[in-house]
This record gives sequence, C-alpha cells and structure tokens, in this order.
Amino acid sequence: MKKHFLLMSSLLLSSAMAFGAAFQLNLQGARQLAMGGTGVASPLDASSIFYNPGGLSALKHVQGYVGVQALTSNIRYVETPTGTYYADSKPKTYTPFNLYIGGPINYKNRLSLGLGIYTPFGTGIKWDDNWRGRYVIQDIQLQSIFFQPTASYRVNDILSIGAGFIFATGNIKIQKAVPLQTAGQDGSVELKGDAMGYGYNVGVHMKATDWLQFGVSYRSGVKMKVKRGYANFNVPSSLSSQFPYTAFSSTMKLPKVVTAGLSVTPTERLTINADANFVGWATYDTLSFDYETNTSSLADTKSPRRFKNTLALRLGASYMINDKFTAMIGGALDPSPIKEGYVSPDLPDADHFMATCGLVFKPTKRFSIIGVFEYVITKRREATFTEANFTGKYDNRIVNPGLALTYDF
Amino acid sequence: MKKIYILGLMAAMFASCKPNLKPEKPSAGHDVDFTRYVAVGNSLTAGYADGSLYRSGQQNSYPAILAEQLKLVGCGEFRQPLLPGDYGFPNAKMVLSMYRGFCDTAASLTPRPYTGALDTIGSSANAYKENGPFNNTGIPGIRVIDYLFPGYANYNPYAKRMFVAVGSRPIDEVVLAQPTFFTLWVGANDVLGYATAGGDQAPQNAAQTTNITNPIFFDIAYDSVLTRLKRNGAQGVCINIPDITSIPFFTTIKANGLVLSKNDANLLNNAYNSLAGLVRFEAGNNYFLIEDTSVLPHKFRHIKDGEYILLADNSGTISLSDSLKCGGWGTKKPIPGRYVLTADEVSKIKAATSTYNAVIATHAAKENLAVVDMHSYMASLQSGITFNGVTFTPQFVSGGAFSLDGVHLTPRGYALVANQIIMTINSKYGATIPLVDVNNYKGVQFP
Repeated sequence: MKKHFLLMSSLLLSSAMAFGAAFQLNLQGARQLAMGGTGVASPLDASSIFYNPGGLSALKHVQGYVGVQALTSNIRYVETPTGTYYADSKPKTYTPFNLYIGGPINYKNRLSLGLGIYTPFGTGIKWDDNWRGRYVIQDIQLQSIFFQPTASYRVNDILSIGAGFIFATGNIKIQKAVPLQTAGQDGSVELKGDAMGYGYNVGVHMKATDWLQFGVSYRSGVKMKVKRGYANFNVPSSLSSQFPYTAFSSTMKLPKVVTAGLSVTPTERLTINADANFVGWATYDTLSFDYETNTSSLADTKSPRRFKNTLALRLGASYMINDKFTAMIGGALDPSPIKEGYVSPDLPDADHFMATCGLVFKPTKRFSIIGVFEYVITKRREATFTEANFTGKYDNRIVNPGLALTYDF
Repeated sequence: MKKIYILGLMAAMFASCKPNLKPEKPSAGHDVDFTRYVAVGNSLTAGYADGSLYRSGQQNSYPAILAEQLKLVGCGEFRQPLLPGDYGFPNAKMVLSMYRGFCDTAASLTPRPYTGALDTIGSSANAYKENGPFNNTGIPGIRVIDYLFPGYANYNPYAKRMFVAVGSRPIDEVVLAQPTFFTLWVGANDVLGYATAGGDQAPQNAAQTTNITNPIFFDIAYDSVLTRLKRNGAQGVCINIPDITSIPFFTTIKANGLVLSKNDANLLNNAYNSLAGLVRFEAGNNYFLIEDTSVLPHKFRHIKDGEYILLADNSGTISLSDSLKCGGWGTKKPIPGRYVLTADEVSKIKAATSTYNAVIATHAAKENLAVVDMHSYMASLQSGITFNGVTFTPQFVSGGAFSLDGVHLTPRGYALVANQIIMTINSKYGATIPLVDVNNYKGVQFP
C-alpha cells in the first residue's frame, strides 16, 4: 500500500508558463520608423523588402542597407488597489537590426531581386528573482530573425508587384520560480528552445500620379515551432524524480499583418504618409507546452491567451531641407491585442502611443546616414492575469534611438 | 540660446523615460481605531503549525501578518509571547523527511519529528513580566467555554507561560493589552477535540476536551468573551468556524484507499468467508474495515464514503499509516473506532459547527461587528485558491496551505487567512488596507 499522503497529485506548475506575444516590433526601417512606422506606399529604400515587396522595383540602383536600434523598455509594476509595493523591470537594451540588399538586376530592368534579414518580433523582460510575480515570470527572452529572399516586378509605370519567402528562426528562454521550497528557497524552472517557421510577404505598389502613391502588403502568419526545447527544473531533491530534465515542444503563432497606406507629395519637398495595419493576433489563442516526460506532478500546460485582432494607425511626414538633409516626424496609435484578464507580467502590454522623429544626412549622392528616435508611452493599465490571480497596475516607457546606413551601388 | 532649449528638452525627455507611477496610499476607513490590536483565539491564532508551537510559527501567525498591514493604518507595536526557539514546545514539531518505515520497501516523504537542536530552554517560563501584555493572546487548545474557567492556566502550559496570574480566567487575561481593535476566532476546539480524538469512542478526560461543547454553554461563553472585548468601545471582527471534516487530517487517508491484489483480496475473502454478505474484497481499491459497535454481532463493517479515517492519533505524533501497513488495520482487523469518524459522528460535527456559527453570527450582529466567513472560504479551498501564480488546495503536503499536522496552516495558509480578514475589515469600515503578499511567507518545506 502506498503512503497516501505522499501522492503529489496536484501540479504545482498549473499556472502555465507564458511568454509574451504583443511583441511585434515595427522597426524594420529607420526612415519608416521616423515617419511613425509608415512606408507601404512610399518605397524609400531597400527596406521596402519588408514594408512592401512591390516597392522594391522602384529602386534605381542596387542598395545595401544596414540598420540597428537600441531599444530600452522601462516597466513598472505597482500593487493595487492600495499598498506600498512596486517593482521595476531590470534595465536592458535590445538591438533589433535590419540588413537588406536589393535592386534591379541591371539598370532600368523591370525585375528586382533582394534579400532581407530582419527581426520583426521579439520581446524580453527581466524582473527581480524575488519579486512578487516570480511564480508567473522572472525572465523571458524571445527573439526571431527572418530571412526573406524577394522578387519584385514593375508591371508598368504605375503598378509594381512583389513577393518574398520567409524563413524564420528564433529562440525562447523562460525562467520562473516554482513553489516547492527547501529551507525557504524556491525551486525554479528554465525553459529554453530554438524555434523555426515559414511564411511569405507579398505587396502591391501603385504610383497613381506624381503626387499620389498607394500600397498594400500582406505578411503571412508564421507558426514558430519549438520542436525540441529543454526544461530544466531545480526543485528540492526529494522531488527531483517528479520534475525530470525533459524535452518539450511548443508552437507560437506569430500573426499575419495586412497593411494599406497612401503617400501624398503635395510639394516636391514634402511627403505625407498614412498607413493602417491590421494585425491578426486572434490566432494567438492558447499557449501550450507539451513535455516529453510527464509525471504525476508534471503535466502538459495549456494557457488561454485569447488575443484580439488590432488595427494600428500611423501617420508620418518628411521634409527635404536641402540636398543633404531630410527631416522626418511621425506618430502612431497601436492598440494592445491583450484583453483584460489575460495581461501577464511576462508582457504587460497596453495601448501604445508613439512619437518619432529622424534625420537623413546624405553626404554623397550614393550614401545616406539615417538617425531615428522613437519614444513610446503606454496607457497606464490596471490589469489582471486571471489564471495566476495576479493583479496590478503597469506603466511602460520605451526609448528607442536607431541608426541606419544605405549605399547605392 | 538654442543650445539651452535643446539641453532643457533633452533633460525633460530623459526624466520621462522612467515610469513614475506610485502605489495608492492605504487608508484606515471610518469609525475604527487600530492603535492596539489584540488577537483572541486558539492554536490557529497562536501560530501553531506542524504539530507544535515554535518561534517562527508564532512570527508567521495570521495576527502577526495582519498586524504588519494594520501598521500601515495606525496600528502600534504588536507583542507576542514568543518562544525562545524553533524546536517546538512542548513536543518537537514535524518536518518532512525521506523516511523508510518498518513495512516500507523504499524511503518516501514522511512527516517526522524534528531532530534539530533542542532550543526550548526557558520555554515554560512565564513571559508576561518581560514582554506582556500580549497582543496575540492565542492559546493552543482553548475552547470557548474555557474562557470563563478560573485557574485555566494550571491545565494549559501555553496559557501558563503568558498569563499574568495562574489563577485568573482567560477572559480577563486577553484584554490586558486594552484593545481598540480585536479579532476573535474561537470555537473550533469545541468540536475539533471530539473529531480528532475519533468521535464517540474518544478517550475521555476530566476536562472533557474530547466532547462536543453543549451549544447553550457555547452561546453563554461566546457572548461573555465578545461583550468583554467590546466593553471599552473596541471594534473588531468575528471569525467563524471552518468545516473541520474537510481538513487533511480527515481526508488524506481515503475511505476506499485500500489497494489489494487479486490474490490478497481472495485470501481476505476466504478468511471472512462466514461473513460473505458483510465483508467483501476485490482487486483494486477497497473500503477499509472499521469498528462499529452498532453493527451486531461482529461490531465491524466496511467504511463508507463520507466517513473518515484519521491521519494520526490525537497526540498528532503517531501516524495511522504505519498501523494500516504493518498492523493489518482495516483488513485483518478493523480500524478501532477512535481512529474513525462514522457518518453519525460526522453529522454531529457538522451540526455542532453550524450551530456554533449561527451563535457567532447572532452575537456579531448584535454588537454590529462583521463576521469573516472562514467556513465558506476554507470550503472554496477545495477547488483551489490561486494567489500570484501559486495554487493552494487542502491536499496534504502538496496543497501548500496546511502544515504537516493536517489541521493547522502553513505561514502561507495563515497569510491567506489574514487576507480574508483584511477584506472583511475593508468592506466593513471602508478601509483600503492592502492584502499581504501570501508568497512572501513560507509554504511546506521539502528536504
């Protein structure tokens, strides 16, 4: 007969391990970012490979493009409704980057080819190991790199089309405390895995008149599959057989993004862009972890996320000061896809309000240096992560300067 | 000039790079004064855990946890009759160990008496003179009716070490700190003593602590205690009594937890051949055999659903599990009645509990005090209570809320209790006292 009271039947890890999702970065071109993230209708440079593959064929020369951002997010958690406790996320700077090369296969050819390597999705947040939400999340890092070979064809002087195939790689790392204590010390678990996925990016660009352009692009959803990650539990030794070192699999569904926009050039020096992004976050319904080895204490987890689709609105303008300098300014409203009840401290997302500005310096005809600065505030949000019964108010500020270089060959 | 503007703008931008959100300040509400908080109660109030009373348990008692929050809204010093050490007083506390019993094939996690340093010297010495009067007056073992009993401290070592005078009545001792605010959680022992000693077959003693207290006496005593606490205009909350049959002490060994092989079932069936109608075993899960003097002529039968087997004897130290395994209890011989609660005994317990809770509700209403409905809250623990990512259940050891004696709570369990009290205070007095971070306290400790 078994010792009845030793059956560790309840899963102490029942609150699912989570990683963030509203982690679309929208930082794939410095000029576009400086104009509020617009760009589907105005092919400015080789970053059109991302913004609208149809626009790539508007380039007159093959262009090499390299850009990097330095994004710092400061998040504060405050206990509600009253209290004394608050926690700040650990300061950390992320460096999303973009590399593009592309242009017409030879001078004035209607066909353009290109390759983009960029980081469209990513997130990270690190809290103090002993903070109040440690059983929900201590540290999460999620990175993705997309490789996109692209072809673009100029059908006539008005219409261009383009398409790219996306091969995506990425990795996740999650660390959280486990409520199994020995001498007052918590257990912990670290999940690590590499992910892979496929998708595509198509776009149409239309230069209706000298002063009016349209663009539409469709970036498909990408199923990032973690086929074989590893879960490493650190629990009291008497329970170690219940929490073995085990492989796990998981899938995260990155959303499709449909963008439509227009670009107006009322005078030679001034350009005004307006874009709308429809982001299909609703595919992000559940987050599951399937452990290869299950025990009576370690079951697979399924965490409902129930994201909703969002519509982001972006507006930007650029003004050419002279042959060497162009100034840009923009703003955007990017609503959060996360519904009340699903706001986890691994991604305390709220509606984003962003303001951007930038400057292009063109020392020579072929060479440009682009500086950009983005400042984001989020709506202060009092929110609950129901499955963990974790409630609080969050405030998030993002500072994000960046630099890009382009060279026309 | 332009440069100064730019510098100013940059300074302003960097200042706004960091969030400046601050938590809202708590408020004390109206018509209540938390200056001198006094907790009145039994072992649950004293911070008893793991089958004993020890210093860190006292420091994590729900009154101590609550007092920390009340200090945000004007509560002063909170004095407890702290023991000198963590060994346990008078007996050793229980700790989880990997242990192999006589009839075990392998070691497994088992609550065992603590074998650490004996740091109990001075535990029985009276602490009043040095540290009294006490704000936490929780006395392990005390029943409501005991509050009116002069000389109670002669029979209770916990009372003896904290009372100013051995001959006094507990009701006079608990108000020495002159409360402006109190919590009153008494009454559980008036039925628990009966239950943990096995009900009607419980061994009797002179103080009749293993009897269910007569509800009329309960009523009189409760009224006296509450009136006394209210005498100087103090405010407070009354806490009612949980359903004790849902605690792990009674639910851990399942009624049908007897797992037999086909062969063993056959052997037992052969042995009980003459009682084939009454006793029947099969492969798989079986209901244990228990003593029942009402079943004539053999005075035993299978236990039924809704009846309970105790986790240990009422001293809390002898695990019943060993007798089931080694002694053939429940199979070769029936489990003695004093280790079992039959359906009849369970209904007596439930009836007494609901009568007492009605008494508590009546007197609280009369004094215009709020009641913390711990009965409902502990019932909701059955389906799991999640706090900041940790789910608590009444499951023994793994549930995280109950300590190793299966009756008292872990520090996290006591913190959950403190939060229920805070919520009741907040709604009664319009206060905004923050809840405690339950996970700031310890749960069950594993080796």
